[in-house]
Amino acid sequence: MTFDPVTLATPFFILAVIAEILLARFAKTRTNYEARDTAASLMMGLGSTVAGVLIGGVIAATTIWAWKHRIFTIPMTAVWAWLAIFFLEDMTYYWFHRLSHERRFWWAAHMNHHSSQHYNLSTALRQTWTGGINGSWLLWMPLAFLGFPPVMIAIEKGISLVYQFWIHTEAIRRLPAPIEAVFNTPSHHRVHHARNPRYLDRNYAGILIIWDRMFGTFEPERDEEPPRYGIVKNLGDFNIVRIAFHEWIGIGRDLASARSVREVWGYLFGPPGWSPDGSRGTSADLKAAWRARTGS
Amino acid sequence: MTLAFLLQTGASVAAIVLMVAFAAWANIARPTPPLDRAAIMDLLAFEFPGAPIDGVWISADRRGAIVRSTDQALLVYLAGDGYVTRSTPWSEVVKAAPKDGRLTLRLPDVGAPRASFAVESQAAWPPALKAAA
Repeated sequence: MTFDPVTLATPFFILAVIAEILLARFAKTRTNYEARDTAASLMMGLGSTVAGVLIGGVIAATTIWAWKHRIFTIPMTAVWAWLAIFFLEDMTYYWFHRLSHERRFWWAAHMNHHSSQHYNLSTALRQTWTGGINGSWLLWMPLAFLGFPPVMIAIEKGISLVYQFWIHTEAIRRLPAPIEAVFNTPSHHRVHHARNPRYLDRNYAGILIIWDRMFGTFEPERDEEPPRYGIVKNLGDFNIVRIAFHEWIGIGRDLASARSVREVWGYLFGPPGWSPDGSRGTSADLKAAWRARTGS
Repeated sequence: MTLAFLLQTGASVAAIVLMVAFAAWANIARPTPPLDRAAIMDLLAFEFPGAPIDGVWISADRRGAIVRSTDQALLVYLAGDGYVTRSTPWSEVVKAAPKDGRLTLRLPDVGAPRASFAVESQAAWPPALKAAA
């Protein structure tokens, strides 16, 4: 077994969730937990692990294949190689994450992570069951073609996932400005989980917020506009099968009613909320309407 | 499935039970006071900005509301400690019949396939709506 940051961090995840609950219980932080919401988040996390085992072999085999056809041979022992993969993996994550929000085929797998109306450490564990089947993992293949060993890629992905756990909290308000400027923080990620029109489709960062600043998707958290968490249309219950599959079923229904290739394309690869007559409203539509109302 | 995987999964289930038990014991869900008109208007302003409000009906347990907006019914109801909103044609509300003290509306939405509201046992349906002040 190789070094697996996520497995090693799992006891920390559990202790941190319990600590956050205790801090809130004794009024040391303003955090809310609802038992059914927490159960749904944690069961999604467990299901994601099982799904990962089922699809993991395919991903590993593909990555190894790509690495066997590599352009360069990058040594795992070199410090520069770890530095390079840190930045390259984090930028890959940014684009994966942006794709996962801006195109429905990938949003269908990712939206479950945003389906809680809460924002606490258990929300971090509300992970996808279907992320393996939409092929988003192919975005990491260029790293293998470049010559980064598959183990190195897996470790760096694990480090990113572990990093992103602790930022799912309302217990930490703001960190010192230099940290907020460079790193993804609880404040930046609260914005990402918010459904306020101002905050929709913003702050896709994994570890470094610099990508959002570079590519024009950064939005700071504003004290006068607290985030409202969840998805544009929040789910009606805590059924984990619904959480995992409802958008896929929605896509299936839409495809069954599609009347042209354009509609098939739009329903699959258009932005979430796309519809032929524009009646449903995409994030861009919601933002435009909000700007028109508020003059922001 | 290896023994290690099964052990890891079993330990994960035990950990989930522990964390959920802590969450339930801590009793730190968001407060959800009975809905009143001001709270409903606040919710609608965010969820259906600009929608005309013709009348409001609040459920018997004050955990949900149906709001008429021209030919649409705007539905507000609790799921856990968070509110869910949907809209449906007003005609669906009129057609529905309360049963055993509840009005259940079926919705064409996989994410929220039904909305249920507590109804006074003797109340007539559809209800007389109170004008939105």
